[in-house]
Amino acid sequence: MRSRAYPFYFAGGALALYLLFYVLPSVMGFYYAFTDWNSYSSEVNFIGLENFKLIFSAGAGQNYMHFVRNTVIFTVATILLKTAIALGLAVLLTNGIRHLAYFHRVVMYLPAVLPMLVVSLVFKSILNPATGLLNTFLRSVGLDFMAQRWLVDVNWALPSVIGVDTWRGIGYIMVILIAGLQAIPKDFYEAAAIDGASAFASFRRITLPLMMPVLTVTTVLNLLYGLKVFDIVFVLTNGGPGRATDTVYTAIFDEFSKGRYGVATTLSTLLFLIMIILGYFVIRLMHREAEE
Amino acid sequence: MKKVVYLFSLLVLSALLLAGCAVAQPAAPAADTGAPSAEGDVTLTYMASQGWIKDAELELAKKFEAETGIHIDYQIIPADQYFSVLKTKLNSGEATDIFGGQSGKTDLQVQYDVEKNAVDLSDEEWVARHDPLSLEMVSLNDKVYGAEIWDTIASNYFIVVYNKDIFVEQGLSVPTTYAEFKDVCLALKDAGISPLYEPISDGWHHVLWFPMVGPRFEELNPGLAEQLNKNEVKFADVPVMVEAMTQLKELYDLGCFGDNALSDAFSDANAKLASGEFAMAVTTLTAPISIETDYPDTPAQTFGFFPMPLADNMLAPAHPAGPSKFIYAGSPHIEEAKQYLAFLTAPENLQYLLDNTPDFAALNFSGLQAKWTPEQQEFLDAYPAKSIVYQDAVNYLNPQWMDIGKDMVAMFTGAMTPEDVLKSIDQRRADMAKTANDPAWAE
Repeated sequence: MRSRAYPFYFAGGALALYLLFYVLPSVMGFYYAFTDWNSYSSEVNFIGLENFKLIFSAGAGQNYMHFVRNTVIFTVATILLKTAIALGLAVLLTNGIRHLAYFHRVVMYLPAVLPMLVVSLVFKSILNPATGLLNTFLRSVGLDFMAQRWLVDVNWALPSVIGVDTWRGIGYIMVILIAGLQAIPKDFYEAAAIDGASAFASFRRITLPLMMPVLTVTTVLNLLYGLKVFDIVFVLTNGGPGRATDTVYTAIFDEFSKGRYGVATTLSTLLFLIMIILGYFVIRLMHREAEE
Repeated sequence: MKKVVYLFSLLVLSALLLAGCAVAQPAAPAADTGAPSAEGDVTLTYMASQGWIKDAELELAKKFEAETGIHIDYQIIPADQYFSVLKTKLNSGEATDIFGGQSGKTDLQVQYDVEKNAVDLSDEEWVARHDPLSLEMVSLNDKVYGAEIWDTIASNYFIVVYNKDIFVEQGLSVPTTYAEFKDVCLALKDAGISPLYEPISDGWHHVLWFPMVGPRFEELNPGLAEQLNKNEVKFADVPVMVEAMTQLKELYDLGCFGDNALSDAFSDANAKLASGEFAMAVTTLTAPISIETDYPDTPAQTFGFFPMPLADNMLAPAHPAGPSKFIYAGSPHIEEAKQYLAFLTAPENLQYLLDNTPDFAALNFSGLQAKWTPEQQEFLDAYPAKSIVYQDAVNYLNPQWMDIGKDMVAMFTGAMTPEDVLKSIDQRRADMAKTANDPAWAE
C-alpha cells in the first residue's frame, strides 16, 4: 500500500461518480424488482417476490420461461456457429489464403460495421417469403422445396434470426481470433512439421490450446451479447410469429412499453444474475482447460 | 512519403470533424421556438401524433394567429413513440398547453388521468354541437375533457372493401352471413384470385376483425359490454366471441388471406386492391378515394363495402373514439387554449376543415355539410350502426391491442387456440384493472 504514488482518496471523485451513476442505479434496480412500480400509479409498493413468482409461473398470461428458453437457444447456437465459422475463416485467412488476404478480411468484417438496424431491414427484405431475394433465387434454380417462409414460420423464425446474427457477428469474432493466431510463434508449427504432425494434429495440439485465452474472450463476449440480444429480433420478427422468437430483452421492452416497470425490472435483474453466474463459470471452465 | 499521406489523412479527418460540428451548431437554438416571442405574444404549444393534424388545421391555425396574435407551435411526434412521450411529459409535469390523445374512457382515465391532467371543458359553447357519441368518448364522470374533431365514420369504420367488377365477373354476390362469406372466399380462390388482403405483419390490422364485430356481440347479448366492464363475465365465457375467433382462424387456415399474409403490410393494401390481385381488403370508407388518387385507372366506384361478417355480423362498426385535443391543466395559457378550441369548432372553420381534408367525408359536429360518395351512402343506408365497437365500449381492451395481435398470430400458427387468445385478453384486462385499482376487480 505504501508503495503507491498517490493516496487512496485521490480516486475519491471518480469513485463517487462511479457509485452515483453505476452502482446506485443497479442497486435501485434490484429494489424495484420487488415492487409494483408501474406507469398507471404514482405509488410504488413493496410486493415481495410477486414479480418473481409471475415470471416463474407459466400462467394464462405471458410464458416468460419460453422467452428464457429462446434466449438460451439463441445464445448457445450463435456461440457455437460464430466461433466455429470464425475460427475456420481465421485459420484460412492467416495461413491458407495468400492472395488478397487483407481484402478478404475486410470483406468478412464489413457486416460488423453496418448498423444492426440496417442489417435487419435488409434481411427482412431478403427473407420475405414472396418477394425476397433468397426465395426468388432458390426458385429460379429449381430448389423450390428449400424456399421457406423464413421469418414467419414458427419453426424457421428462430433459426433464421440466428442465421442472420451469425452472418453479422462472425467478422468481429474472426478479427479477434486472427490477432490470437498471429501471436502463436511459427516455430511450434515448424517443430511439429519436422516431427511429422499432420495439419489437423498441429491444429488440435498447438493452435487450439494456445488459442484458449482468446476463445475464452470471444465466448464470454458472445455469451453476454447473446443473452442481451434485442435489436435483431425486434426488427426482424418483433418476437413473432406470435411470440415464437421473443427473447428476454424483447419481453423487457414489451413490459416497459406496457408500463409494468416492476415486472420489467425483475426480468432484467434476473438476466443480470444469470449473466454473472454463467460468465463466471465459462471463464473458470475455459481457464482450467487452458491450464490442462 | 508515408508521413505525407498520414498528415494529409489527419487533415482531411479533422476538417470533416469540424464540418460535422459546424452543421450541428445552428440546430440547437431551433429547439426553443416554443418560447413566447419578444413582443410578449402568447405561443401555445401543441403536441400530437403523426397524422392527427391535417393540413387544413395548420391553415386555420395561421388564420387564428392573424386574428388573435396567438401563435400555435405544433410538435408532431412519430406515432409509435407518441404515447410514451406524452405519458412521460404528463408524469413529469411538462406537457404542452394542448395535447392530443386517443379518446375513450380507459385512455382518459388510465393513460392520461384527465381528472388530474386536463381542463374541464363542459361549459364550452361547442359542447352542445358535438356529436353525443364522440362527447361520451371525451368525457369522464359526466365532465367533458376534450374536443374530438374527427371524421368518426369515414376514417374510423374499418369494413370489407370489395372489388365490384371481380364480384360481377365471378358471379358472386355480397355475403350476408359468415357462411356466404366463406363461400365467396373459396370461389375466388378457385378462380385464382387472392380473396382478401390481410396484412398481419403490421401487428395491428388483423386485430380489427375482433373488436370491430362488437356491435354484433352486443346484438346477440344485450348489455354484454356493461357486464364485461363490471367484471361479471369474461371474454372466454362468451360463446359468440369464441365462435368469431374460431371463424377468423378458419379463414386463415382456408387461405382466404392469401399465401403471404404474415409478411404483408397495410401500406400495400391500396396497391393490391387497385391491381385486382386481391378482391377484398379490410380498410376504411375513404380507401377507394385514395386508390383513385394514386391509381387513376381504378376509379373509386369500382369498390363497394360490407361489414366484417364474423358471427354473421351485418352491422356498421360505430367507432366514435378518435384523436382528440385536451388542454393541459398545468398550462399557463388555459384561456388562450380554450379560445383556440372555440375557434377550431366554429361552424365555418369546421366546414373549412371538412372541405379541405381529403380523408374526411363528415365531421362529428352538427350543422355541417357532409360529402358522401354514392357508394359510401349506400353502405351507411344498408348497414345500421346500433352500438359502438368493443375497443370503445369495453374497458382495458384498446391498450392491449398489439398483444392481442401477437396472440392472434400465435393462434394462426397453431401455438394458441381461439379460447387461449380470449383467456389471454381476460388476463391482461385483470392485470390492468388491478393496477388501475378498479373496484370491479377488487378481490
